Order: sequence, then structure tokens, then C-alpha cells
Amino acid sequence: MTDFFQKKTNFIFLLSVIILSLINIINIIYNTPMIPDQHWAQKIFYVHVPSAWVGFLSYLVVMIFGIMYLNSNDDKWDNVGLAAAEIGTFFMALVLITGPIWATPIWGQPWIWEPRLVTTLILFLIYIGYFMMRAFGGYLERMKRNAAVLGIVSFINVPIIFLSVQFWSPEIQSHPQVEMAQQPSEILSPFLFSLFVFTMLYFLMIRYRIYVIQLNNKIKQNV
Amino acid sequence: MFYLLLKKELFIELRSKELILSMIVFGIAIVLSFSFSSDLSRVVVQNYASGMFWITVLFVATLGVHRSFAYEKEFDAFSMLVTAPIDRGLIFLAKWISGFIYLTIMEILIIFPFFNFLMIDFPLNISVAVITTLFSNLAVMAVANLVSGIAMRSNLSEILLPILFFPLVSPVIIAATQISKGVMLNEPYAFWEIWVLFLGSTIIISGLAGYALFDYLVEE
Repeated sequence: MTDFFQKKTNFIFLLSVIILSLINIINIIYNTPMIPDQHWAQKIFYVHVPSAWVGFLSYLVVMIFGIMYLNSNDDKWDNVGLAAAEIGTFFMALVLITGPIWATPIWGQPWIWEPRLVTTLILFLIYIGYFMMRAFGGYLERMKRNAAVLGIVSFINVPIIFLSVQFWSPEIQSHPQVEMAQQPSEILSPFLFSLFVFTMLYFLMIRYRIYVIQLNNKIKQNV
Repeated sequence: MFYLLLKKELFIELRSKELILSMIVFGIAIVLSFSFSSDLSRVVVQNYASGMFWITVLFVATLGVHRSFAYEKEFDAFSMLVTAPIDRGLIFLAKWISGFIYLTIMEILIIFPFFNFLMIDFPLNISVAVITTLFSNLAVMAVANLVSGIAMRSNLSEILLPILFFPLVSPVIIAATQISKGVMLNEPYAFWEIWVLFLGSTIIISGLAGYALFDYLVEE
């Protein structure tokens, strides 16, 4: 850890993300308006949506670097794909945790049949399978190729899964259909700031995770 | 070359018959379990029958597609197959079509026990039911073979296959269930047209993805 953050740019990046995160938390708690029907529950929106954005962005990264790995067979692209899959799944787990926390007081129950919830859960399960595949092993090069293919197939499936769930039960779709552009600036500005901070946090995490994966690979090669 | 590969798939099964037999026995066992556990009125069961049918297909397809790839592991037959100077995407297509044929045979044989055990009526429009079921089979097997290609040569592929297959095939099962429900309840085509289009796009996307990516999956 020290090696990575001893580099000046990484340290400044870490420091910036910590400061921005603290400002973001304070901003969400004190500066965002209370929505009459939702009170504190609504505040989770500033964490939930950016987490979902980062999660899906991360899975897009998995797909892009999966294609690059298949084309070049270069291990560094596989490292990026693995790091993105791990961090994406972490943020997806956060979405699946914060969603029910918001839903319990608002909907009266933590889980309902709702396209975005179910799509996220299905994607989360696919990526659990992705990690199991990597963990169960087999021939290393083949496993990396399979992981790249699975990353591509999973992301192609995102719109298919979403539409299938959306078409199934349109009458019970309770997910708030928020048009962000039409929100007042006291909601929109903190939301965009939170989105920015989460994206920065994501880039820091992925950089660090790639570094750790590379370090692990070096150790394995030397053993 | 595609026909040769397809012939190979079908001949292996014709000689051993283990795939079809195991699929049928497993299919009937699942139907039997459903009939034990659904001690409900006929109207209620009629509403859920399409879902039960496609869950049966889901389990049986998992069994079938795993066995279809497990054949290739024996004596490392797959290595020999991929060293042949052929387009590897055709291997995927041959497995897809042969899987589709096995699944259809299995369905033909379990459909009578299914309706009889659950004590429900056959759909009024049999030809539409047959065509839509064949269409759904094609989609299920496209995804099944793609996932099986991913899982087949990892350790513990028999565990990995359902773990990857079930979430990835969920849109297909949702669509197939909705179509069959529409047919069973004799609803007009416009009610379930969206699901037919949906299945069509899944077949195209999974088929193309399988054809294009299979090359990388079987690479030594």
C-alpha cells in the first residue's frame, strides 16, 4: 500500500478523494433539502444512484477490456477487467443494500418486483458466477479468456434483462422515474457532485486494485 | 461442414441414447414433483402451468447441455475437434441445433404427462403452441450452449453451468412463459407479440455472440 501511495500523483489523488468524500457527506446531510414524504430516507438517493452508475460503468469497463484482452492476449487488460469486475460488484452490492433501506419506509417493504432492482440482482448473480469461475481455476490462460467472454456476454445481456423485467409487470413498477434535468438546483447540484465524487472514488479504487493484482501476479511468478 | 458436425452430434446420441433418456426421465420427475406440490384448483394451475413447463425445460436443458459438452471431455475429444481445419463457430451452431432437437424430443415426450398429471386442458390452438414452443426452445438452447461453452473446461463445470446459466437465461424464460401463458389462455397475438419479438432478438444476439466468441472459448 505504501509503495502505491508514495507516488506523489497517487497520494494527491487519494487526498483529493478523501476531502471530496467528506465534503460530499456533509453536503448530503446538511445542504440537501428534506423531501416532505420521504425525510431522511430520500438522502440515500445521493449514494444509491451514484453507486449504480459506477457499478454499470465498471461492468462496461469489464466488457471493453474483455474485448481488448481477446484481441491482444495481453495480461494487463485481464488485470483491468478483473479489477473492474470486483469493484463493479462491490458497488452493485451497495446498490442492493441501499435500495431496500430506502424502500422499507417508502414502499413499506424492502423488495418488490421492479425492473431495475431485479436487473441489478441478476447482474450481481452473474458476476458472482464470474468470480466463482475464476476461483474454480483450470488452465489459467483459458480461464482468463472465458472470463473475458463472460464479461462481454453479461454486459450485452443488461438491456435484455432490463427490458424483460420491465415488460413483464408494468403495472407494479414503483421505482421513482426521476427526470434529473427537471429537478431544482438544490437537489441537482449535490446529486451531480456526488456522482462526480463516486466516479473519482471509482478511478482511485480501480487504479489501486490493478496495482495490487499486478503485485500478486509478480509474487505468484516468483514462487 | 456444419451438416457433418450436426450429424456427429446426432449420431453420438443415436448410439448411446443416454442424453435423451436422462432428459426425459428428469423431465417427468420434475413434472411429477410439480403435480405433488400444486394441490390447487384447475383454474389456478392453468395460470401457472406455463411457468411450471418452462422451469422444467430450464432444468432439463441444463442437464442436456452439460452432458452434450461432457462427451467432448472424454479422451480429450474436444482438443481433436478444435484442431480440425474448420470454422469453430460451426461447432457452436451444431451443438445449438442438436440441443434444440433433443430438447424438442424431450418436450414431445413429457407434454402428455405434463397436462395429465397437472389435470389441465391442452391449449385450443395447438399449431400456435407448437410453433411458439419451438421458437422458445431455440432461444433457450442458444443461451445454454453459449454458457456451457464458457463453463465446460473449467474445474467443477457442473456447478458453474447452472450458476451462470440461470441468471443469463432468465429473460428467455420470462418471455417463453409469457408467450405460453398467452397461448394457453387463448389471448390474441397482440397481447404477447412483444415477447415473440423479444425472443427473436435474443436468438439473434446469443446466436451471433456464440458464433463469434466460441472461437476464443475453445482456443487451446
